[in-house]
Amino acid sequence: MRVMATAGNEALIATRARATEAARQAGGAPAAADSARVADTGVPVLALQGISLSFGGVTALERIDLSVAKGEIRAIIGPNGAGKSSLLNVVSGLYRPDQGMVRLGSERFTHVPAVRLAALGVARTFQNLALFKGLRVLDNVVMGLVARRRSGFVRQILSTPLARREEIEACAAAEEAIAFLHLDAVKHQLAGGLPYGIQKRVELARALVARPQLLLLDEPFAGVTVGEKQELATHVRNARDAYGTTIVLIEHDIGIVMGLSDRVAVLDYGRKIADGVPAEVRSDQAVIDAYLGVAHEGETELVI
Amino acid sequence: MTTLARSAVSRGITPGRVGLVAMLIAAYGLVPFVGSDYVLDALLTPFLALALAALGLNLLTGYAGLVSLGSSAFLAVGAYAAFNCNVRLQELPLLASIVAAGLVAAAVGIVFGLPSLRLRGFYLAVSTLAAQFFVQWALTKFGWFSNNNPSGVIDAPALTLSGLTFSSAVGRYVVSLTVVVVATLLAARLLRSQVGRNFIALRDHEIAAKVIGVPLLRTKLLAFGVSSFLIGIAGVLWAFAYLRTVEPAGFNLDRSFEILFIIIIGGPASIRGAFLGAAFMVVLPLLLSRLGAALLGDVFDSGVLEMSQRIVIGALIAGILIAEPRGLISLVDRLADRIRHRLSRPLRNPTQP
Repeated sequence: MRVMATAGNEALIATRARATEAARQAGGAPAAADSARVADTGVPVLALQGISLSFGGVTALERIDLSVAKGEIRAIIGPNGAGKSSLLNVVSGLYRPDQGMVRLGSERFTHVPAVRLAALGVARTFQNLALFKGLRVLDNVVMGLVARRRSGFVRQILSTPLARREEIEACAAAEEAIAFLHLDAVKHQLAGGLPYGIQKRVELARALVARPQLLLLDEPFAGVTVGEKQELATHVRNARDAYGTTIVLIEHDIGIVMGLSDRVAVLDYGRKIADGVPAEVRSDQAVIDAYLGVAHEGETELVI
Repeated sequence: MTTLARSAVSRGITPGRVGLVAMLIAAYGLVPFVGSDYVLDALLTPFLALALAALGLNLLTGYAGLVSLGSSAFLAVGAYAAFNCNVRLQELPLLASIVAAGLVAAAVGIVFGLPSLRLRGFYLAVSTLAAQFFVQWALTKFGWFSNNNPSGVIDAPALTLSGLTFSSAVGRYVVSLTVVVVATLLAARLLRSQVGRNFIALRDHEIAAKVIGVPLLRTKLLAFGVSSFLIGIAGVLWAFAYLRTVEPAGFNLDRSFEILFIIIIGGPASIRGAFLGAAFMVVLPLLLSRLGAALLGDVFDSGVLEMSQRIVIGALIAGILIAEPRGLISLVDRLADRIRHRLSRPLRNPTQP
């Protein structure tokens, strides 16, 4: 079943891979696919410099530095309350950090403007689904392209050529994203009535439809069954491979993250305690302590 | 060829479209000839005006999720704006007055929609009460609005369109019907476009809508503007085609609540729901008075009627909010589905379209 699911995307991925390959050869770079991707030291898609954030007296983030290279899948893990979601909210402009700088591509911000996020090529999903429940799946995905709309409401009522073209293009892109995530069967249903795992996929489709440079996934695997987790992980990897999207994901399930990510950063009590490829992180003593609760009393969560 | 394609492509849509066209044909071709002046004057014309007002509020509250208790104020703004256009710009044709009244109402609506940028839900609803009280006060206080009538009463002019007069019950019904049909088609079109999606996105998840790039400020004010535009036009119909003499006190909070109840009963976020709810609201007092007179005889006077009407509506709203939050229209839809299901099984052969 899962093999069937991935088979549909292979053609697209293969084409993409060939294109990247060609580009790489043209640039004279060595064609060592995976290591090249991880070691890509060009301009990072996302860079955080000394981000600090506190709520009242509670420190959520403390001098976080993070650099995410183009095309990598970067996981940020940590126990509950480690500051993962706060970090993502800083990047997506929902929180203003007390200190530090966020760099998205070539632009630097002390407070990322959330309203311009889509225009900056950043899309995100939310920890507890943030679908538009009263819209059909197709319309939800079309919403992902709203930032590209140029026609105002008068043009839309009059259905001018611009408005019509935008609508057609948006629907075509949405159909493609829906096919990519195997949502064809439910595309005319209201999003609110679908099973949780499917809704997660719809949210992924809505984020992907705009072909973002950077995709932020807030606990994409939380609350879904083990089978769905594997499937979602495949979809996330396919998204990167097919669209070249850089992905930052938050998770506290280490198991799934290790297989999926190129690099992993670990947060604990608002500080970054480790950062590296999965194998390094897995054997890092500080990480083990954080997860097994050796360093901090009362933190008995064990999620493997 | 086209009919073939259509019947094949839109099997699901066809019954709705056919129903709509049939209703329009009946509304234009049958009702004006069959309906008595009483039916046209006391039932259909107020139904049309209320339905349009409810549709306007539904855009704002049902679709965009912004609750307003100021609908009656926008009705008043529309009515008084059209009156002033008519009195002060004599050469302005009626249609232009109606559109201008809608635009004035939209402008007022946008101003009173500004708090929505900060307030939400219950607090926003309360802030829209400001519109309700302010407009009613201004229309009574400043004689200019009513052309210096001491009690703010305005008398509607005769409805004339390019030389033709529509002052009879039939004429006023046809004018109302035409205005409501055009306005409804435009609203339906807007709701099907990206703007309509933005409204629902705003309602269902404001933060996700913001992050995805929905211009919140513009969308909220647009919702207030379009909603008030439609309600303003409904106000013109209410004053010019239905009552013909209105005073500011007629546009009180009760009316705002009535329009809100229409969309709760009929079905929020549904165009048909607004019409169904309005029909219900117009017919209910009649049914009650007939029923009351039959059961209780003379005891059932107009005072009792009004009280019983409130009790029934109150009970109904509580019941609907609990049992069927999507309103009467979803009951109707389910019933229609069941009937269609039952009919389509034996009648599968293609003779029946």
